[in-house]
Amino acid sequence: MTYTISPLPHVKSKESVKSVMWGTVAALIPITIAAIYLFGFPALTIILATVIAAVVTEIIIYKAASQPITITDGNAVLVGLLLALLMPSSVPIWVPVIGAAFAIAVPKYIFGGTGTLVFHPTLVGFAFLLAAWPTLMGTGSVPNLGSFSDLFLEAGAGRLAEASPILVLLGGAFVLYKKYVDRRVALSATILLLLLMPIVGMGEELPYVLTGGYFLGLIFLAADPVTSPVTKRGRLVYGIVLAVLILIQLHFNTYFAGMCFAVLMMNVFSPLIDRSTIPKPIGGK
Amino acid sequence: MKIVTIKTPDQVIIPLQQHDGAVCDSLVSVGDIVSVGQLIGDGEFRIHSSVSGEVTAVSELPHPTGKDILSVVIKTHDGEKREIEPVKLSTGKIRRIIKDAGIIEPNGHPTLRTKEDIDTIVVNGTNTWDLSSYEALMLDHPSRIVYGLKALMETVGATKAFIVIELGSEALHVMRTETIPDNNIKVIATPGYYPPGTEDTLAKKFAKKKVPRGSIPEDKGVLVSSIAAMKAIYDALCDGEPMIKKVVTVAGAVGSPRDVLVDIGAPISHVIKECGGCSGTPVKIIVNGAIPGAAQYSDDVPVIKTTTGILVQTESNIEREPPAPCINCAWCVDECPIGLMPHLLYGYADSAQFDKCAELYIGDCVECGMCAYVCPSKLPIVQIIRYGKHGVAEMEAFK
Repeated sequence: MTYTISPLPHVKSKESVKSVMWGTVAALIPITIAAIYLFGFPALTIILATVIAAVVTEIIIYKAASQPITITDGNAVLVGLLLALLMPSSVPIWVPVIGAAFAIAVPKYIFGGTGTLVFHPTLVGFAFLLAAWPTLMGTGSVPNLGSFSDLFLEAGAGRLAEASPILVLLGGAFVLYKKYVDRRVALSATILLLLLMPIVGMGEELPYVLTGGYFLGLIFLAADPVTSPVTKRGRLVYGIVLAVLILIQLHFNTYFAGMCFAVLMMNVFSPLIDRSTIPKPIGGK
Repeated sequence: MKIVTIKTPDQVIIPLQQHDGAVCDSLVSVGDIVSVGQLIGDGEFRIHSSVSGEVTAVSELPHPTGKDILSVVIKTHDGEKREIEPVKLSTGKIRRIIKDAGIIEPNGHPTLRTKEDIDTIVVNGTNTWDLSSYEALMLDHPSRIVYGLKALMETVGATKAFIVIELGSEALHVMRTETIPDNNIKVIATPGYYPPGTEDTLAKKFAKKKVPRGSIPEDKGVLVSSIAAMKAIYDALCDGEPMIKKVVTVAGAVGSPRDVLVDIGAPISHVIKECGGCSGTPVKIIVNGAIPGAAQYSDDVPVIKTTTGILVQTESNIEREPPAPCINCAWCVDECPIGLMPHLLYGYADSAQFDKCAELYIGDCVECGMCAYVCPSKLPIVQIIRYGKHGVAEMEAFK
């Protein structure tokens, strides 16, 4: 009798790329429901249209390039859902549809697909829409943590993700616990930003940062595994520099777009940070 | 008693290489009658017969490492009562006895490698995944293990010793009770620690000594050993028994998974049969643990001195998912006990950039398998790193 032989290991963990992507999507379900509850039917149509646009674009492009269709790994759904959550509730439905198609076609497909991309597709899609239709991407109101109840349901929410800070944090806690996003990046950037703001005299702007949009950006977008560094030290550096960059952006830019551009700028430096923080192994000098 | 002694097989296959080193010379030839404990192989280390019987062959036979190694096949005498006669190991210093008993650590090196002064002994008692032989040994023979440890401490002149046991193990309480009178032996509980028995990481974590590349923990005054070796030292000192038996964990798809005391040289098929046989169709047989172990192509390979476990897998246990691209999740970087960058090594080795592999210290990889275990993309990281090491060796030979 002969047996199967293979290199080690002979057991593997249950986590897969699929479970990482779909797990992150699941973590966004609470805030999605809250957004639909707060904004009603328009929010539902924005979310559905964006996700479908992302998925359909991916199918078309990969089919045209005769590459295996990897739609089941959940990445396109995640990119679409994140983009939808960044949209203002008043946006015409075709805007995020174009954004989702752009996000899949350019930053994802052209840069080599999941794993090799440099910029977070959702953020590139968002930046593209912001540059193309700035008036349509503006929000009617700006959220601001005025009272305690705003933590649960933000009355001044303009974007879908701003509907409820606590539900974004709930999903964030889940993905941080499961390590679906990078803990070091998310925690160092968030904590440092909240600590630095009062120190540099921007304390009165703190309520604008304690909103769903910011938490979504810091946890789900900045700490996205593909675009953040890999080395242990590098991830801390990334989070720290990101927090400083957000502060600078906050000073000169509009409060929400500033955060997104700060993350996009940091994406550029991710390989550089990685290369300069290669650790010495245990026996190294 | 947790450990079950199993029947001596009709025939044992004793490889003459059971350690990291050269193959020993055979001291017997076909037709010779040998008795339990008789020296049959000598060279760098000593190998003894585990049964009484007749030598039927001395030839190259399958070995758990996958190679064919010169082995002595002994047919056990029928009906003969198998009693261990205390063999005369050379008397004198304990150091001499430990050497003559042929005690080998599970990772393949002898317990006493150097004559350097040793300050601290770290005894690895952690069991991971499917292995539980250390825990079983500690539960069954706590006093013998402490005796062996004290003898070793006295021999090498160590002033303190740590027994490392993972949190939540029953053995923790037993060993703590056993070592109450000894101030210099400390039992340390550690959260599920992997990989087991990697000397450098154990020395760094518990003895706080960093072992530079190219040297062994002994150079820094730390001796890293294991529970199995402590028991073997006791057996050698008190019973005059060389290392001819091994406690092995039999797990997975078998009738009754348990820890068994096996004669060295017993074929794996015999051990599995004595544990109730395979339940279902066995597809994979793995020696030495589910993650770091080696899959066997034949169940005729024998149990040797470094064997710690036998795992039987059926088709449903086996992952056959095709790999996906790396998503830079950094889980492998977080898990690597050595502090390497497994995903980069994978990428460079896969594209044959061996100079880059060498720059990233590919030679330091201990092949514990943890990176490939956690990888969500299911990449065969260890396999490719091995290819990379091979490539680096070829590149350096060419220079």
